[in-house]
Amino acid sequence: MLDLRTPTGWFFSILGVILVGLGVLDPGRASLTTLNVNLYSGLPMLIFGGVMLFLARART
Amino acid sequence: MKLAPVDYLILAIYFGFVLGIGWRLKRSVASSGDFLTSGRSVPVWITSLAFLAANLGAQEVIGMSASGAKYGIMTAHFYWIGAVPAMLFVGIFMMPFYYGSRARSVPEYLKLRFDEKTRGLNAITFAVMTIFSSGISMYALGLLFQLVLGWSFTASVLLSAAIVLVYTFLGGLTSAIYNEVLQFFLIVLGFTPLAILAVAKAGGWSGMQARLPEVMTHSWHNLASASQNPMGVDAFGLVAGLGFTLSFGYWCTNFLVVQRALAADSMSAARRTPLIAAFPKMVMPFIVILPGIAALVLAKMNVGYVLPLKGNSYDYDQVFTTLMSQFYPSGMMGVGLTALMASFMSGMAGNVTAFNTVWTYDIYQSYIHRGAPDAHYLKVGRMATIVGTGLSIATAYVAQHYNNIMDILQLVFGFVNAPLLATFLLGMFWKRTTGHGAFTGLATGTGVAALTLSLTVAEGKGGWITNLHQFPSTMAQNFYIALLAWISCFVVTILVSLVTAPRPEKELEGLVYGLTKLPEEHGVSWYRKPAPVAVLVIVALLLLNFWFR
Repeated sequence: MLDLRTPTGWFFSILGVILVGLGVLDPGRASLTTLNVNLYSGLPMLIFGGVMLFLARART
Repeated sequence: MKLAPVDYLILAIYFGFVLGIGWRLKRSVASSGDFLTSGRSVPVWITSLAFLAANLGAQEVIGMSASGAKYGIMTAHFYWIGAVPAMLFVGIFMMPFYYGSRARSVPEYLKLRFDEKTRGLNAITFAVMTIFSSGISMYALGLLFQLVLGWSFTASVLLSAAIVLVYTFLGGLTSAIYNEVLQFFLIVLGFTPLAILAVAKAGGWSGMQARLPEVMTHSWHNLASASQNPMGVDAFGLVAGLGFTLSFGYWCTNFLVVQRALAADSMSAARRTPLIAAFPKMVMPFIVILPGIAALVLAKMNVGYVLPLKGNSYDYDQVFTTLMSQFYPSGMMGVGLTALMASFMSGMAGNVTAFNTVWTYDIYQSYIHRGAPDAHYLKVGRMATIVGTGLSIATAYVAQHYNNIMDILQLVFGFVNAPLLATFLLGMFWKRTTGHGAFTGLATGTGVAALTLSLTVAEGKGGWITNLHQFPSTMAQNFYIALLAWISCFVVTILVSLVTAPRPEKELEGLVYGLTKLPEEHGVSWYRKPAPVAVLVIVALLLLNFWFR
């Protein structure tokens, strides 16, 4: 059966790349914060996605 | 609120993954068992997160942050008192009978333990309930996206229903479970930044404590009487009504969640499923409730945030989405909305897959067409997916036109599991309980609940016959109705059981405590055993309650 870690890993890696990319190139704005929200939220997703992919690969 | 192209891109990527998972799982579905019960082959980390996520709908995220703004940290009782103890109980004490009996559903356990009529009563009530819940979930989705984004009600309802239909039709229960886990990660990774940003902006926990009345930041201090706290409940009502009857009723007898544990690949995994799920459940208040409380603080701080209004009163249900739109730039905004959409959809999928199983095994195979080859039931299960989704869509439209009916139904769903809990406790732990006793008790308990609702009033609700008692809040009313329903079912079941003929003990092996060989495990590491995991949960739970006392 499909190992759920593989699609989960890919999904969050892709989200992470999009958000970190946005954070670096065009951070955007929100009215209540000056932080680079996309960058700091995208990094954990990128790491999580990577760990999931690594675990899925390590098993097979 | 306006979305940028990147936000739509993120939503589209999510839809792609969801459908892709369904399509990939299609190959693993060969029998009705694969489709409806996942062939009992899902790893424990997946069943645990699905156990949690099946219950974690978008209505909960939005409702809990609204309650956070309205009632403060007391809202966390819905998790700490109102969920975790029941999750421990179902894992440690009840799962050996559920999983060990090989029953494919909760109604089927009732058939094995009691008789056909008790199963029939439960199967039909449950099937109706899942359709309504799934319809209400769709209705809430349509309403939210109309309000926040200006999307058409019909478009959001039909789009989300179509996607849910495709992935559950293809991959069955496994597909629903996998997508629930994906949704869980999306909620955690998508909403944690919001909680951190909102709390930090509000001055951290100590800053929030300093700026709010004492009652909003303490969960136990103001429970001596109902008049001391905004929830309008006292400690007894809270612990006995919410902590025992409502919470145990939901987590221990609702097939929607039990089905996730039954999909696990071994008895030990099935027992550990709710226990492992208890850890993330305990910390969910930090993600969903704290932003609501922080919003209240922000509104007092003159930083540019105002609590959303509807007419002259606050519209707490909009607290979460307004926070999101003011803390998240395009990009994370898309992630946040995708997470909301995802949790609405998996709420639907959970109900649809539970409906499938009960319809196919407990109604169709039991009363309509017995003894057909398995391929026939697989087809019926697939058809039930389509019919169930269709009925849910119809319900969503009924809800749109008749708001009052939905209010009443949600009130009824609140306590429908309370008498069932008494039936299960007696059935599993007292071998003398008989089928006639269980059926009469269940019918009486449900009747008593309906009668209590017709005789008492809270916030203008209930009291259709006459008003004998006024409750300080609907929450208090709900807690006490559940308690009365539970007590009456418990007493009537015992009385009727004592005057009807018991079943021979031989037939009850594997179904009742004392007549079942409980699983013993040797040679596995401690963290793979249910009892030590449960002890860890209890310690963490006590610490949390002490910290936020």
